[in-house]
Amino acid sequence: MNHENWYDEAHPELTRRRFLSALGATTAATFLGGAPRGFASSIKQPEATADSCILIWMAGGMAAPETFDPKRYKPYEVGTPVEEIISTFPAIDTAVDNIKICQGLENIAGVMDRATLIRSHFQPDLGSILHSRHQYHWHTGYVPPQTVAAPHIGAWMAKVLGGRNDVMPAFINIGQQLEGHGESEELKAFTTGGFFGSEFGPMNLPFPDLASQAVKPPGGMSPDRFAKRYKALENLLKHSPKSEELSDYHQESMLRSIDNAHRLLGSKEREAFDLSLEKKEIFDEYNTGRFGQGCLLARRLVENGARFVEVTTEYIPFVHWDTHENGHTTAERMKKEIDRPIARLIKDLEERGLLDRTLVVIATEFSRDMMIEGVPGSTAKDQSRAKTDVLKEMKHYGLHRHFTGGSSVVMFGGGMKKGFLYGATADERPCLADKPVSIEDLHATIFTAMGISPKTEYSIEGRPFYATKDGVGKAVRDVFA
Amino acid sequence: MSRCFPLLTLFTLVSPLGADVDFAHEVVPILEKNCVECHGGDESKGGLSINTRALIMDADVIEPGKPEDSLFIEVLTDEDPDFRMPPPDKKDSLKPEEIAVLERWIAEGAKWEEGFTFAPDRYEPPLKPREVKLPKGAPGTNPIDLIVAAHLRDKGTEPPKPLDDRTFLRRVTLDLTGLPPSPEALSQLPSEGKLDRTAAVERLLADNQAYAEHWMTFWNDLLRNEYVGTGYIEGGRQQVTKWLYRSLLENKPFDAFIREIIAPGSESGGFIKGIIWRGVVNASQTTEIQFSQNVSQVFLGINMKCASCHDSFTDRWTLREAYGLAQIYSEKPLELVRCDKPTGEMAVASWIFPELGNVDPAKPRDERLQQLAELVTHPENGRTQRTIVNRLWNQMMGRGIVHPVDAMNTEPWNEDLLDLLANQLVESKYDLKAVMRLIATSRTYQSRTEVRDENEGTYVFQGPVRKRMTAEQFMDSIRSVIGVWPAPDKNAFGKGLTGGQLTAVMEAHGLKQWDNRPVRAVFAKRDELQAALGRPNREQVVSARPDIVTTLEAINLANGPELAGLLKAGAANLQGKATPRDLIENTYLTALSRKPTDSEVRVATDILGEKPTPEATEDFLWSVFMLPEFIYIN
Repeated sequence: MNHENWYDEAHPELTRRRFLSALGATTAATFLGGAPRGFASSIKQPEATADSCILIWMAGGMAAPETFDPKRYKPYEVGTPVEEIISTFPAIDTAVDNIKICQGLENIAGVMDRATLIRSHFQPDLGSILHSRHQYHWHTGYVPPQTVAAPHIGAWMAKVLGGRNDVMPAFINIGQQLEGHGESEELKAFTTGGFFGSEFGPMNLPFPDLASQAVKPPGGMSPDRFAKRYKALENLLKHSPKSEELSDYHQESMLRSIDNAHRLLGSKEREAFDLSLEKKEIFDEYNTGRFGQGCLLARRLVENGARFVEVTTEYIPFVHWDTHENGHTTAERMKKEIDRPIARLIKDLEERGLLDRTLVVIATEFSRDMMIEGVPGSTAKDQSRAKTDVLKEMKHYGLHRHFTGGSSVVMFGGGMKKGFLYGATADERPCLADKPVSIEDLHATIFTAMGISPKTEYSIEGRPFYATKDGVGKAVRDVFA
Repeated sequence: MSRCFPLLTLFTLVSPLGADVDFAHEVVPILEKNCVECHGGDESKGGLSINTRALIMDADVIEPGKPEDSLFIEVLTDEDPDFRMPPPDKKDSLKPEEIAVLERWIAEGAKWEEGFTFAPDRYEPPLKPREVKLPKGAPGTNPIDLIVAAHLRDKGTEPPKPLDDRTFLRRVTLDLTGLPPSPEALSQLPSEGKLDRTAAVERLLADNQAYAEHWMTFWNDLLRNEYVGTGYIEGGRQQVTKWLYRSLLENKPFDAFIREIIAPGSESGGFIKGIIWRGVVNASQTTEIQFSQNVSQVFLGINMKCASCHDSFTDRWTLREAYGLAQIYSEKPLELVRCDKPTGEMAVASWIFPELGNVDPAKPRDERLQQLAELVTHPENGRTQRTIVNRLWNQMMGRGIVHPVDAMNTEPWNEDLLDLLANQLVESKYDLKAVMRLIATSRTYQSRTEVRDENEGTYVFQGPVRKRMTAEQFMDSIRSVIGVWPAPDKNAFGKGLTGGQLTAVMEAHGLKQWDNRPVRAVFAKRDELQAALGRPNREQVVSARPDIVTTLEAINLANGPELAGLLKAGAANLQGKATPRDLIENTYLTALSRKPTDSEVRVATDILGEKPTPEATEDFLWSVFMLPEFIYIN
């Protein structure tokens, strides 16, 4: 593993704020990190129980009865009427007496004593299932379309709280490719800073093993040359006859941003992006694939000051958790992918003393069911690709319909109770939520833990726009330690 | 903030002692002291405004006659400090006798003084066109300059300094065609002060293709026209690309342009069709309401977004008016839905400035749309005229006469100037280029940009404001410097719902196949670099792009693959074609429209070395493109 310390050693002067100095004045006070800007509301913010948040996104609709909410188990047997099936995995014990989860999540079962498990999260039935639309709702708190571009919850954190230090971007999004697959335009629509502007939008890192390139010189450029290029810009600026106009705030924003970018690229923190610097045995433990690597990257980024990091299993229509057929087999594979790295992430954060102030949330846009599309009585079209009344082959076995009436959310650290169970879904179909927690209330819980009131508002086009829809989200008090 | 009590005297006279609660003297002071700071005037915390009785009723917080069922009373004594009103950390709780007054008031039906409001007095812009009396001045002076000179004198503001020929040519070429001036145009500059600026403006406006390619960006943003994007997946969206490009190319009169958008033929229907998402949508987001909001915003500078959910707190538009517009478009009868709750009231197709006439709700939809189009473009409808000329001024001068440009109910910094431009539009038979011509040939436009602070108070006009290149201008400018244009993307010749944008260009110019003309960035798909540079996804109407540069952009510009690829192609193209000195001079000329100074040549020579390698050339180009002087239009 090659430790590149090229920047600080070769060019110690590069980590200073240099480009603004072309102004010859110290006019610029606001930088990437630090104090919240343009804080529109005089509202009292709650005391934070977490400094960072990692959202582990199970993209495509993770079936609760196959993961964190085991039900009556029915093994695969040809001829079984499908309506008899609720869960295709048996339950296993966890580190907490009254909590059982599904087979295949043995490592996570071992850390459930650090977790609050909410089994009663639910989503509105939007009449027809389009994953990206539900994902938009979950990630922004607002159902699309909206009259203004709604900010992602990570953008809210970046806007209200700022970065934790002055180099690490506040909002980092790991694992989702935004080009090349279905619904990519729809995904892009919520993966943004919205009306807060791109300063608060995500740094996208679709491939964790290539993340270091985002903070390195472009491919093929030597560090030395990269440094020289900045030097060249600095010299041209210094000799420009137009430099007296640079204090114009527009132009100044450019110099400040170049400084910010430049400081990140020259900082110690940039090494956090480089997975090749991790010890091999730890890397191997996480490495179940891109998602596992993403968890490792998230840990490294949070250790180095990231505010909000999302790691996704990646949404691609009909792939991963989006099981329209072969649900059992796919869920088995997905659990292999997530079980080890998530458990390891929790332990790593704990060992480093970070778990208490880092809120880790596992969530998904909705659950799944063998029979029901949406909720009972919904007009949503049946999208199963394995329609049958009785099991005839393995591809029929699994939860192939999108269920919005009750899903599971797991929360670790960040001021949550440990080994705590909140809410439940019915044992038999329809498995609807008892003590239901809406998206607004779940977001209110996450925001409150981060020290952001769910009523926090910004004015856009003369209209108030709230952290939770209409400011109505109420934190679930019971889950706070 | 003024309070109006039209009937106050009468009201107090007829209110006998010991009888009903006295609204004006008993209730209003309590509301004023405890509630209005957060729920009155322009404030509507938690979505509650108590400006008028109707607004309180909309919010469902008062049950007239039943104080015990009214949330309005309940929160006054709520034990949870998070829910008690007023918030305990802001104000003391109400005294029991004050609560008693409010309870009695509600018990008696929560009566309200007719016409009373906590809303502030507002500027109400004139609707009809207005003749402008020009200040005196030398004959032949551009009327903009007459008005601005008088304005500056009046305010005691120092006039902005005049702009040199070279900077003028750069600015006006970028503003009208999206590109920096060519080396040929620059080499033909006579000695300073001798440029025929009017002829230069004429030449640029006559380049119909470049004009269309540049202004397409502006119109794509306003009309939500994108070649791929949300909605297309379900066939729930339609482009207007072909129609738009052709309309810009032939400089279609703006009144005809509006009529074709609002009462469309087969190729211009995408705007009113809106964006349809799969499944049910919020009542304020149906395509009918999108129509109401977008027609209001784009052509009238009215924000109908508040009013499409409840009567607006911040301007005069009501739910009924928002639905009236929506019903013009709707094929089926619409029920008014207030904050997602049906009201039982049915919408009546109607237009929002009835003083100009109205649509006939009994007519079929297509006729209603035609009537609406006539009303929006009615010669007496000054609002439409002012809205578009203000947008053009904003595009060219960096800041609207009314600002922000989508809030045309805001007072302009100079009413005469706004109306002069609006009248120019009408007199020229709705020729947008004629308005641009008038602006570009004014001394006001031909002044140096002011150096602005971010947080200044009231705006005072001090000259043009610096503009940032759009993503498209930035890409095109880089390409014109390095001389490398992208190969057309296959999808740009597609025939489906998405793509096909270059087919539109070919058809407009009668081309059988693409003839290798430069593919401008406006016709490319929005890639990561363009997105980082502020090109919106066009899901919402966008009338102003970001004017500052952000950190994530700077990171992308430092190491993103798109720009790196461009620089590489550029260096390869320029390699070996010129001496370092010529390369430096050409680059400064094409990128910054000026010659480098001696010291700049010296620094650049250091960067390039005596025999520039491709890498050195890339680094030099990058450094020039990162100069604020390049990305900002001075």
